[in-house]
Amino acid sequence: MDREYKRRNFITTFTKGDIFSKLSYIFCGLANIRYGQVVKGLLFLLLEVCYFVFLFTTGINLIHNLTTLGEHEQGMAYNEALGIYEMQAGDNSMIILLTGVVAIVVTICFVAIWLFSISSGENARYNHDHGHHINNFFEDVKSLTNENIHFLLLAIPVVGLLIFTFTPLIYMILMAFTNYDNEHQPPGHLFDWVALDNFKTLLLSSDKLSQTFWPVLGWTFIWGIFATFSCYFGGMILAMIINSKGIEFKKFWRTIFVVTMGIPAFISLKVVGTMLGEKGIFNVLIQKWGWTASAVPFLTQANYARVSVILVNFWIGVPVTMLMVSGILMNIPAELYESARIDGANPFVIFRKITFPYMLFVTTPYLIANLIGNFNNFSAIYFLTGGGPMTLDYYKGAGKTDLLVTWLYKLTADTNDYNLAATIGILIFIISATFTLITFQRSGSMKNEEGFQ
Amino acid sequence: MMNKTVIGLKLEYFLRALVAVILSFVSLLIPFTSKEAGSKNMISTALSLLSADGAAKISFFLYLAVILTVASLVLGVISYFKTGVKIVKAWMFVQIFATFFWTTLLFAVKIILEEGGIENDFLLKSAGIGFWTGLVTAYCSLVFIMKLAEVNVGYIVLTILGVMWMFPILWILLTALRAEQGYYVGYFFPKHLTLKNFYDLFHNSAVPFGKWWVNTMIVAICGCILNTLIVLGTAFVLSRTRFSGRKPFMNILMIIGMFPGFMSMVALYNILKGLGLNQSIGALIIVGAAGAAMGYHITKGYFDTIPKAIDEAAIIDGASRLQIFTRITIPLSKSIIVYQVLGTFLGAWSDYIFPRLLFGDRQSSYTVAVGLFWMTDFRRIDSYYTQFAAGAVVIALPIVILFIWLQRFYVEGLSGSVKG
Repeated sequence: MDREYKRRNFITTFTKGDIFSKLSYIFCGLANIRYGQVVKGLLFLLLEVCYFVFLFTTGINLIHNLTTLGEHEQGMAYNEALGIYEMQAGDNSMIILLTGVVAIVVTICFVAIWLFSISSGENARYNHDHGHHINNFFEDVKSLTNENIHFLLLAIPVVGLLIFTFTPLIYMILMAFTNYDNEHQPPGHLFDWVALDNFKTLLLSSDKLSQTFWPVLGWTFIWGIFATFSCYFGGMILAMIINSKGIEFKKFWRTIFVVTMGIPAFISLKVVGTMLGEKGIFNVLIQKWGWTASAVPFLTQANYARVSVILVNFWIGVPVTMLMVSGILMNIPAELYESARIDGANPFVIFRKITFPYMLFVTTPYLIANLIGNFNNFSAIYFLTGGGPMTLDYYKGAGKTDLLVTWLYKLTADTNDYNLAATIGILIFIISATFTLITFQRSGSMKNEEGFQ
Repeated sequence: MMNKTVIGLKLEYFLRALVAVILSFVSLLIPFTSKEAGSKNMISTALSLLSADGAAKISFFLYLAVILTVASLVLGVISYFKTGVKIVKAWMFVQIFATFFWTTLLFAVKIILEEGGIENDFLLKSAGIGFWTGLVTAYCSLVFIMKLAEVNVGYIVLTILGVMWMFPILWILLTALRAEQGYYVGYFFPKHLTLKNFYDLFHNSAVPFGKWWVNTMIVAICGCILNTLIVLGTAFVLSRTRFSGRKPFMNILMIIGMFPGFMSMVALYNILKGLGLNQSIGALIIVGAAGAAMGYHITKGYFDTIPKAIDEAAIIDGASRLQIFTRITIPLSKSIIVYQVLGTFLGAWSDYIFPRLLFGDRQSSYTVAVGLFWMTDFRRIDSYYTQFAAGAVVIALPIVILFIWLQRFYVEGLSGSVKG
């Protein structure tokens, strides 16, 4: 008896089902039609027909082309009928790859619809066999505002993500396994699959690329750690000063610092960048004040530039932390401070034993997210130094303050080495994923999302 | 006298304050100028400046530093014999000004000494020991007197940091109002003020700033509406309902989010080209809305804190999920909605990389971020720098006002993102 009532899964629906259930694996929606959901069943069938029409007219071709990425280069070909050489259009690997990816994504969508139609047909059968009510089409539509609201509210985001995020991402990930660099620009030159060659040259070879990658990675880590922790502690100290007893006009002080947050980052970075130039106002002033005899190469000498970007990031980042910490500081139980003070603890001990551990406990996930964010902090570097100062030690285009992301951007925008850019993108993903996994293991709020309900 | 207690004063700091003030006075008597200039102390420097012909006007910084240091010592000695809250407060104010003028010397001493004919090619690092001890003891005195008067020492830090934080902002404001054109000017305060830069910005045929501004406003407003709706919907479904595929969906979003965003920008550009949408601001709005769901975390975290019992009660009363969303959840989420709207609005004004790629050379579709950047290209920066500054002010001013006004909601959103 029990077994009879058990819901069937994807396989048992087929093995135990009647002829309609079995046939609905080939003709989507047949089971729905059999149990009275005619409109729904026909819709499934229509979608299936559409997909197969697409597949047999163009889809198969597109997917097949993916394996070769084009064979005929654009160039002069001999036309025997006319007896002359003429321009032949040739294949375009880039378009072949892109359309191939689109065909694959469409196929994935169809598989999802197929699976959904089978489970929907099985539901209809189950309800029919057990004498439950079977929704008609109108009731199905109505359920979109109630128990099936996720279909309604997620439809637009999912379609948007599929077209504008997922598809391009798959395309770029595949690109990491091709040789689409500046010497293989279609349609003049086709590119082809090269398996893991890009990873090998970037990580392991003694090539200039690998000699660029490791220092850039190193600086990315140094930058991320300094940028994150300087802003974290700076913001915490600032928040503690503003919130401490005896400071009047708290709102005024907070506003002074918040102004920098309100200005779009690219403006403040660009402005500070021009101020730090060789003839910028900072250099003019410090010479006028007698602080140095000659201009300081704030952005044009590697080590100065690195310190400069960290300091400017401090200027931009401290107010954000300050605001966030202000909120948390107010949540620390006042009794803790009271009893510490009675026990004779001085402010420094109170900070070290109470405030800081509490803050660290609450903000660890934020801190790690911030660290990942700083590894990928494109704007702070790009708008300030543009990755410069340039150096001959690095692969063309990369500079001494370049992070992996800014280098990635330069590879796509300036030198057209898309394969390298994609490879770096995947490596950045691996780094971010590692740090996120650490966060997951440490943070209670991510594991237990029901905790507050 | 150390055994006395006075309400409103912490007398244990009195001795330290007095010693610091005395040391501060002593530094007036030890070498102030460099060895080449004869290692004069500060008082004799001040005297020779007074008799010099062409002494700079800002020499009074130096006179005041000397006078106020002496005055502070006098007040310190008086308050030793006649301790009271009022006299200590007066002492503190004198010391505040003394410290202020000592600090200005850090910037002005070169000009004062060179124009007063005392030194040539002065560099701060060659200044005599008296200068440095004077500066340090001025701050020490101020700290101890403030502690004595039970005033929070944090004011000193806040003032110094506040000036540092305001400095670039003041610069951009002054540049926007500067009549002298050009990037390379050798002074901070403009010689002539004007509003012409703002006028030129909107009446320059080569720089259609007005058009850019309208474009950005359209993108920002459409983005605010679409993105906020999408984020709210996604966050609601993921937070308040349970359905199969929910966890995998969240994991996929997280994985996608870990790839750097503009890795796929080139492909995205090609897709938009295929759809015939490239170079239009419509594409910018659509792409922004399409990716909005990725930022659901903070809103979901906020929705998670709304008690589930409210939903359950509503379901018993016969409300549908959509009604719960529109009638209960959204009205309870004012601060998170403001946070979202503010974030999207701000993003539209500062987004640069993707619009730059999307619009290419079609100037009429530029947003202000792309346009302003175009103006700061190294070939153009000299002729457009003041107009760029004016443009920056035009953009930043409304956003800053909005930001200060809605700060509270922003803080709630931010601290919502880090709860335990």
